[in-house]
Amino acid sequence: MLITISRQTGSQGKEITDLLAQKLDLPIITRDWVMSKWLPEIANQHELHMLTQSPGFFLSTSSQGITFAEFLENKLQELAEQQSVIIFGLGAQIIFAGYSGALHVKIMASQEIRINRIMQTHCLEKKDAERFLDLTDRKHRRYISTIYGKDWSDPSLYHITLNTDNMSIDEAASVLCYMAQNRQNLPLSQIDSLEKPVEKSVVFKHPSEEEFASILDMHNIEWEYEPRTFPIEWDTEGNITQAFAPDFYLPRFDTYIELTTMDQRYVSQKKKKVQKLKKLYPGTNINIVFKKDFYSLAKRFGLWEGNDKK
Amino acid sequence: MNKPGIGKIIYTEEEIQQKIAELAQVINRDYKGEKLIVIAVLKGSFYFVADLTRHLTMPLNIDFISIGSTPEELNMTGVIRFTRNVGLNLSGQHVLLVEDVIGTGLTLGFICQHLETFGPASLKICTLLDNPAGRILTLPIDYSCFTMPDLFLVGYGLDYNEEYRNLRYIAEYRE
Repeated sequence: MLITISRQTGSQGKEITDLLAQKLDLPIITRDWVMSKWLPEIANQHELHMLTQSPGFFLSTSSQGITFAEFLENKLQELAEQQSVIIFGLGAQIIFAGYSGALHVKIMASQEIRINRIMQTHCLEKKDAERFLDLTDRKHRRYISTIYGKDWSDPSLYHITLNTDNMSIDEAASVLCYMAQNRQNLPLSQIDSLEKPVEKSVVFKHPSEEEFASILDMHNIEWEYEPRTFPIEWDTEGNITQAFAPDFYLPRFDTYIELTTMDQRYVSQKKKKVQKLKKLYPGTNINIVFKKDFYSLAKRFGLWEGNDKK
Repeated sequence: MNKPGIGKIIYTEEEIQQKIAELAQVINRDYKGEKLIVIAVLKGSFYFVADLTRHLTMPLNIDFISIGSTPEELNMTGVIRFTRNVGLNLSGQHVLLVEDVIGTGLTLGFICQHLETFGPASLKICTLLDNPAGRILTLPIDYSCFTMPDLFLVGYGLDYNEEYRNLRYIAEYRE
């Protein structure tokens, strides 16, 4: 059994995790534990200090030739293979994203409730509690974005998000306890099928499109495959006689992409279609990726051997 | 020239310095009365950012980032990663990202998405060389010195196998 817990400060995530660990009789791996037990194996005093201060330092190369982040990932994976465990923070929801049977939990609460809790537990004035939360939230976000290029708040990283505004510690721990036990009892095939809807089930028409999608994934750029078809020619009765569906749409950059890695005879046809589209739908951003540029990108990322298969 | 592989000089030292001085005037005007954080993407932009920032007159901080994108440098999730991340607090700050060359815009898009998570007041992009013909992502480039010709260029920070960065000019490289 593997449970990863990510929590906002002031969400009572630590208290819930402690109770959950007690109920399931599982050890908890925390940042403090890792700093005192594992990282001293490869980090000297100065490096340990830097690791507590800067998430970016986790990407520095250690004396063992791997980064501190990689060392930590390896240790966590070794441990998870050997025994059941709860991992608190440490980006474990990303490290174990594809891990069958893992339960990824996010514990949060509204800003107002968290401020009130911090004021009480830390005996702070409201403005100091707000600043405290702002700093810790930023730290959490930064660790995940720096090391894994992911947005901590992305709900798709978690199986369940608990809002503890109106939920007791015991209630939250009981829900998670039930989920974890239920998940452990599920046959592996059933767990795999639970994971599948999260993945993009896209059928590409050409291998180069799949490779291009991989390049976009590497850059953490969200994409949609052929999401829209633009009519570009009509007959005299207004029936559509020609339409054009660009290969990709990148919502964050409001850009359509058309690949032209196939037979170069079609390139001029595609260029004409793109020109028509731009004329008919002004303001639509569409870019063509030419064969030479595609191969240069694919080779750079080790995705393509350079042999044109079509 | 006497350097193997170096072909025609495309931009002389004087042309580069003249263009940078002109660009700095525009940036000084745009950010008048504001504080600026300049973030340069290593390694190619280091001469450019050094020369550019010495023309800037507003209060500013400088930081550097670097990303690893070779297959060996990808992190466990298969995403390219920062081998050096920004250390300054960008929240609520005006940020100017400085690149040497902008081509497809994929790397730039990755960096911009990352910087935006820090909540800067604004994020603008400045490049020494822009290659809009090779663009994949639609990104507004706010400041650009030169348009990239369809040549492999070296010098003034640009390299071929890590060499030629220290040339004072930008030249064509021929294998």
